Amino acid sequence: MTNAADPYTLHRLANGLQIVIEKMPDVRSAAAGFLVRTGARDETPEVAGVSHFLEHMMFKGTSQRTWREITIDFDRMGSSYNAFTSEDRTIYYGWVRKADLARQIELLADMVRATLPEEEFKTEKNVILEEIAMAKDNIEHVAFDFLQEKVFAGHPLAWPILGYENTVGPLTRDQMWAYFQRRYAPDNMLLVVAGNVDPAEVIGVAQELCGSWKPAGPQPKRTTPRIHRGVDVMSVDRFKQQVVAMTFPSVGGSDPRAETAAAAATILGGENSRFFWEIVQKGLAPRAGAHHLEYTDCGLMLLFGACEPERIEQLADAIRTQAKRICRGPVAAHEVDRVKNKRRTSLAIEGEAPYYRLTQLMDDMEYYGEPRTVEQMLAEVDAVSSETIAGYFAAFPIDDEGHLTSVGPRDWPAAP
Amino acid sequence: MSEISHGYLPCGIEYGVVTLPRRHVVSFQIRVLAGASSEPAERLGLARLVEETLDKGTQQRSGQQLSDAFDAIGASRNSGTGRETMTFTSTVLAEHFERAVELHAEMLRTPTFPEDAVRVNVDLARQELSALEDDPQALCDKLVGPLAYGPVLGRHPLGERETLERIARADLDAFWRTHFHCGRMVVSVAGPVEEKRAVDVLARHFQGFGGAAGNGRETHSVRFSPSRTHHHKDLEQEQISICWPGVDATHKDFPVQQATLGILSGGMSGRLFTEVREKRGLVYWVSAWQETPRGAGMMFLGASTTPERCDQTYTALLREMDRLSQDLIQDELDRAVTGIVASHETRGDATRSRCAELAADLFFFGRPVPPEEKIAKLQAVTIDDIRRYLAEHRRDRLCVLTLGPRALADPGMKAGVQEGGR
Repeated sequence: MTNAADPYTLHRLANGLQIVIEKMPDVRSAAAGFLVRTGARDETPEVAGVSHFLEHMMFKGTSQRTWREITIDFDRMGSSYNAFTSEDRTIYYGWVRKADLARQIELLADMVRATLPEEEFKTEKNVILEEIAMAKDNIEHVAFDFLQEKVFAGHPLAWPILGYENTVGPLTRDQMWAYFQRRYAPDNMLLVVAGNVDPAEVIGVAQELCGSWKPAGPQPKRTTPRIHRGVDVMSVDRFKQQVVAMTFPSVGGSDPRAETAAAAATILGGENSRFFWEIVQKGLAPRAGAHHLEYTDCGLMLLFGACEPERIEQLADAIRTQAKRICRGPVAAHEVDRVKNKRRTSLAIEGEAPYYRLTQLMDDMEYYGEPRTVEQMLAEVDAVSSETIAGYFAAFPIDDEGHLTSVGPRDWPAAP
Repeated sequence: MSEISHGYLPCGIEYGVVTLPRRHVVSFQIRVLAGASSEPAERLGLARLVEETLDKGTQQRSGQQLSDAFDAIGASRNSGTGRETMTFTSTVLAEHFERAVELHAEMLRTPTFPEDAVRVNVDLARQELSALEDDPQALCDKLVGPLAYGPVLGRHPLGERETLERIARADLDAFWRTHFHCGRMVVSVAGPVEEKRAVDVLARHFQGFGGAAGNGRETHSVRFSPSRTHHHKDLEQEQISICWPGVDATHKDFPVQQATLGILSGGMSGRLFTEVREKRGLVYWVSAWQETPRGAGMMFLGASTTPERCDQTYTALLREMDRLSQDLIQDELDRAVTGIVASHETRGDATRSRCAELAADLFFFGRPVPPEEKIAKLQAVTIDDIRRYLAEHRRDRLCVLTLGPRALADPGMKAGVQEGGR
């Protein structure tokens, strides 16, 4: 439970709902959110997109409120609220003035017991199909979905979060209801609250609102994907740029090496990085970067760039050159220090506002099973060194071919 | 609790400080009162190139050394070029505040604009312009700018392909010499910093930087072009952008305009989201927003939809504007106002937000505006105010721009019609 040095309160209701609370006495606001452990990777191929569509349907009516009343109640509090779906989780949140916290939790708790009205289901399907169409006009969205489809081929992580027209189009309310009943059970959910709050009061509110929810028992075990290598090309004439993305297997978010992997990605392709000075500031491409993509049980090191199509060979060569250089080392101590200094600032910024803390707590619970204190996070940042980066690249090299995807007007690279 | 102070340094810098004693970070923004509208007509894109090249070398350090120096204190930095100003923003742990200001002073006072960096940044800007073609919403914003604001204020910071080709190092240097001096600088600071410390630090590092005369505070005239323009492009969706003049940020009706926008698009219970998306399922993205250059205001409606539904979407957008004055109820107005008031408190927990708010106050009002003053004005808005505002700012002079595979079928316009094309 809580003490002065540890601002966290953890509690679990009898039905399995986990509750995590962070007390932030210096702020005027509070954020609350439900995390449901479900996402695109928990879908079967014929219902690809159901998790995201379901997230929209949570705003469309409950036994106590119509869809109109749900949005009006959020706005009456002046809440900053939304929801989002990823490969492995779905999150609903609201950020309010501290006096409105109990009302905010009540509204969120009501929402996630949705009734999925048939008429609303039909109308909202059109909204989802528009969202899919919008994503197709954005080259980076197209390139990222294509990358996941190919690098995770044969595994549910390959489905796009939005689904496809030919899976969302024929999806029925009954299919969605079955998925909803299975996945939105209290023993597969987490309530997170951060801000100027009284933990005992939050637990009392949660018990009253969520205590009667029926648990579903163990969920089907997620399988870890095989990460493919190779080359895949999507030729799209109407785009003006060519995007290249290279991916390599890496650690998941819960691996102790995740902080090192993220630091390595920043040294390679963040601000003031090797990519910035050796690729962007050489005029090869306006965008080139590296990200460490973390899922609960696996990860990818992603190197990417976007440029004029006729420069794509040069850009790809430059990315590979830098990948080999960092992989074969050494990384200078001053490069590591730069990244660590910036990380310290970002932790301080994240620590200020309840919504930022909410998202961090959700990550911590998913990856570590418990919240991390600022001191713990700083210790993990401090532990990153040239040596840990060298060790990471020895285990997860990026100097081989990896997997390459290319999206744009050119059919590049040509098939051998 | 916070204290807000405001004043001018002897060197000419206008400053504001929000002292937030219990915070761990300091955010500050240096605004230089020169932007795309300050560029020579034949050198469009120049201001952004200056902003992009300032940190690529100083008299003391190379670009990489300067970036390393910022990283040594973990500075979280940002910069941007707008229609009227350039901003340089930084957030650091409180103990690094002075060093961060010192490095900004070095960057702003002693840039060398290395020839290689200028050449590369010109080429990158040309590539960015071409990349806009793959970002339909951003492209729409670029296309609508000149129609909404006219040829000067409507410029896009990236410039134009043909004007970028003319830009050389000497142009950057000349722009910097003309526009970068204390009299054109406004600095906003938020965090655990008292006024005296902020003033001392700024004075120590900027004293003697150019003239103290307070230039750059004039307003630009807006040349609004009511029109209907279609740009053909092979896209999945049609982009629809509609705009018309509103009031500027200092106008007595600005809180009325804010409330009107809140009713249209403040939260998910806003009229556009409710009527166009949730009831009809016509769109995923629909929004209303405002832009307020100094001395002017522009209202925007935007949506994207598949081509076969674009006429229906367009009609639905206009219908919502039309019926607003007829059936507005108090609860809608209350929700809109509550949304704006509550976000002062929630987002105000972040130091960066407090700095951004102060910076906007100094830019528009020339003074910090206490939150309670803004809130009182918003809370005083009535339904009759909104009806009067809508009557005075009728939507019978619209600029409508579409981008996508097909033009709108029905003009629905009373003003001049112009068909563009690409």
